[in-house]
Amino acid sequence: MKGVVRLLAVCMVTSLLMAATAFAAGPVRVGLMCPLTGKWASEGQDMRNIVELLAEEVNKAGGINGNKVELIVEDDGGDPRTAALAAQKLSTSGVTAVIGTYGSAVTEASQNIYDEAGIAQIATGSTNVRLTEKGLKLFLRTCPRDDEQGRVAAKVIKSKGYKAVALLHDNSSYAKGLADETKALLDKDGTKIVFYDALTPGERDYTAILTKLKAANPDIIFFTGYYPEVGMLLRQKVEMKWNVPMMGGDAANNLDLVKIAGKPAAKGYFFLSPPVPQDFDTAEAKAFLAAYKAKHNALPNSVWSVLAGDAFKVIVEAVQKGGKADGASIATYLKTQLKNYPGLSGQISFNEKGDRVGDLYRVYDVNAEGEFVLQR
Amino acid sequence: MEEFLQQLTNGLAVGGIYALIALGYTMVYGVLKLINFAHGDLFTIGAYLGFTVFAALGLSGHVSGAVAVLLVTTMVMGLVALIGYLLERVAYRPLRSSSRLSAVVSALGASIFFQNAVMLIYGAKFQVYPNDIRPTMAVSFFGMDIPLVRIMMFGASVALMLLLHFFIHRTRTGTAIRAVAIDQGAAKLMGIDVNRVIALVFMIGPALGGAAGVMVGLYYGQIDFTMGWVYGLKAFTAAILGGIGNIPGAMVGGLLLGVIEALGAAYISIAWKDAIAFLVLILILIIRPTGLLGERVADKI
Amino acid sequence: MISRKASYAGLAVLIAVLPLFLDPYWTDVCVSIGLYAVLALSLNLILGQAGLFHMGHAAFYAVGAYTAAILNTVYHVPVLWTMPVAGLLAALFALVVARPIIHLRGDYLLIVTIGIVEIVRIALINNVFGITGGANGIFGISRPMLFGYKISKPIQFYYLIWTWVAISILLFRRLECSRFGRALNYIKEDDVAAEGSGVDTAYYKLAAFVLGALWAGMTGTFYAAKMTIISPESFSFWESVVLFAIVILGGGSNRGVLLGAFLLIGLPELFRDFASARMLIFGLAMVVMMIFRPQGMLPPLPRKYRIDNLLRTKEAA
Repeated sequence: MKGVVRLLAVCMVTSLLMAATAFAAGPVRVGLMCPLTGKWASEGQDMRNIVELLAEEVNKAGGINGNKVELIVEDDGGDPRTAALAAQKLSTSGVTAVIGTYGSAVTEASQNIYDEAGIAQIATGSTNVRLTEKGLKLFLRTCPRDDEQGRVAAKVIKSKGYKAVALLHDNSSYAKGLADETKALLDKDGTKIVFYDALTPGERDYTAILTKLKAANPDIIFFTGYYPEVGMLLRQKVEMKWNVPMMGGDAANNLDLVKIAGKPAAKGYFFLSPPVPQDFDTAEAKAFLAAYKAKHNALPNSVWSVLAGDAFKVIVEAVQKGGKADGASIATYLKTQLKNYPGLSGQISFNEKGDRVGDLYRVYDVNAEGEFVLQR
Repeated sequence: MEEFLQQLTNGLAVGGIYALIALGYTMVYGVLKLINFAHGDLFTIGAYLGFTVFAALGLSGHVSGAVAVLLVTTMVMGLVALIGYLLERVAYRPLRSSSRLSAVVSALGASIFFQNAVMLIYGAKFQVYPNDIRPTMAVSFFGMDIPLVRIMMFGASVALMLLLHFFIHRTRTGTAIRAVAIDQGAAKLMGIDVNRVIALVFMIGPALGGAAGVMVGLYYGQIDFTMGWVYGLKAFTAAILGGIGNIPGAMVGGLLLGVIEALGAAYISIAWKDAIAFLVLILILIIRPTGLLGERVADKI
Repeated sequence: MISRKASYAGLAVLIAVLPLFLDPYWTDVCVSIGLYAVLALSLNLILGQAGLFHMGHAAFYAVGAYTAAILNTVYHVPVLWTMPVAGLLAALFALVVARPIIHLRGDYLLIVTIGIVEIVRIALINNVFGITGGANGIFGISRPMLFGYKISKPIQFYYLIWTWVAISILLFRRLECSRFGRALNYIKEDDVAAEGSGVDTAYYKLAAFVLGALWAGMTGTFYAAKMTIISPESFSFWESVVLFAIVILGGGSNRGVLLGAFLLIGLPELFRDFASARMLIFGLAMVVMMIFRPQGMLPPLPRKYRIDNLLRTKEAA
């Protein structure tokens, strides 16, 4: 019996010691939660590539205040349940800040877990308004919000003179949110909404929907869903020989949509989005993208993964300038002291809710070569 | 009226695809009384194999579009038939004498396996078929513009179905298949090699599914590894609608389901489109379980 | 052969002390295992004991979870009080839905249940009756309060859930040994013979569905409280497949279900690093299991009837 007690005591002491050394001044642990598998795997993989490259650069330059940065990546599978487990995993691995993720519902599933564990969370591709309205002190985002996008959408529709608008979404929390925001603003303005319905993502055949849309006779179709469906809709619309203009929100921002729709069908399509990587005009952004291209032979596919890079950069800045690496300090520094930080996507500041301040949305046209052209 | 006709044609074109996949389900069910959950994934494999073959052969530009398509489709059908045969040998034959439930679970397992194998080999992103092979003209018909490709798709589906019908009803092997479907034991007594017949069924059914996969890839352009799930379930609904085990039933069921879906989307609501399809399935099973043309499925106790 | 009592005793001790050795992440995994175990137990009543091919269990679970969520967020009913209502509504739903389909033959019942679960999911996404929150789901569900003690950490949920598992196993075992359980067993073996012997198969089959749904609905409350947000994606056909697999691969006995839950939910977490390959292995494992051990890992032991009881009563008479 005595032997057992002694053994237990030794085990306890050893584990305590190990735990203690883990928390001593050592590497700064940053977590990245992203969709490495599932329907948004290409976003997640870009996110990981970008953040890993940035972490490498920081470490090569000597780390943060002499400490190395350690990156821990977990897959959230693009679904809330897996995200909750990933969040649990990260919260026990000693990270003090987490970057992620893409998809508002997925981020939402992880928010409380990080908050309860005292870990700062910076979301990068989650634009649902609700996420920063809950009063979570440790939550921020480098991406804009749906209500801003809705505002810009309504403005653009009005400025282009469209009178009869068809709103189509895909029942996901992001797309429906954006459609609802836009609808509310358009209704206030008196623009006619001739159609409002949802399609099922993952289907292939949208001819039934397009036929129904055609019967409603809109001036413009605003489909707020994701890029795979945008490509299919464009393609099938052209096949029906219907030339009505179509616009989209920022979830359309992915070059693959041109691949799916084919260049002739994609021409003339426009969407709202924060600027794409190629259009970043700061010197740091250009340098970083050149390094990225050298390593991966291609530019990142979308701006969301670059926003993940920005999240990493501001975390590093907060730890460097603020001196402390725990979640609460990072969050407080970012909300109160970080002003106009030169990130990859532009200048970054946060307000007390954790939202990114500033006007980020621009209009992008698709030209005949299938390229995204920024409308200044 | 014009909208109605347009939706009708939309539905028929999609229905053709459902019918082709449904044929595979119905044939397998007829001989083995097994719902082959992996069938939808065989359809997906067909689509992906077609993609690979197109990319590997780099045919566009060398050979005319129609010939290229024909060539690729035939190759894919052969490959998928082979996979179907292997599936039967590995996952179903050992369970021939076990309870039905084991076979169903095995089918589910095979489906998961195939789906993820495709994902691992081709990546999680969707793939896009080469664009230049498809003709883009549209035919004008009663004031509607129907893309030529849709008509071709529909025509190809019907042609394959007629071929199958001819095979089943006018050849000896076809008769053997029908015999095994009616009563395996008696067929054995008549000297029919049941194993061979079943293997054949598992080659023809998946081959048709593979052809459907190539067509979907060509027409819609975009394929991803989860597409087999929805198509498979809808095709199964179509098979039940027409009466499972019944080949003309599968054809009728497929076309009918396509039309019901299109009209449901047009006149009820798009968002509920899939729910309508499933509701149809449940209603058919409750009200007329034999399906439109088929056999008894319920034991009234 | 370990006696049933001994194995349960051992299991109970193991489960009671396990959290002391695990970090919150693994405790959370065990909470998931517990949840799935209870759900699988409720499915076992329908699938394992009555032999009804049911792949729509996620629908009942969903009704329960959403009921709990709505009652909690809109009417501010404390979470644990919503349990009976959630269970009742799920049971009612099962009654309505199962009644017309109860006489369908095996594989067709299977397909119809799949259809049901898909319809439920689509209805939830489309915000049917305006109360389900659509694709966003419902958020802000409060934590359970047990006698004034708030349950929010994984370790607290762990003990809550596993107590629930213990209660479930006890109750289901009692059911199995009762007249009801024997009738289900008969129906599973041969329902025509059962009908011929005077067992009202339609009633028993329906009762199995309703009871299974009741339990699943109540468990849905726990799920809602643990996640604090629920959305339609958590109740997809895939969840039904996992539950189905747990019951079948586990074998149909209560211990088999527990083992199945540990393997099917716990193992993929161990292999998180091989995320993409783990589903592949899962599928392969299902096929292999069916070929080599179709009765599952721990099939129910054959029923024993003690003759000395009979003799004793005969003597007393």
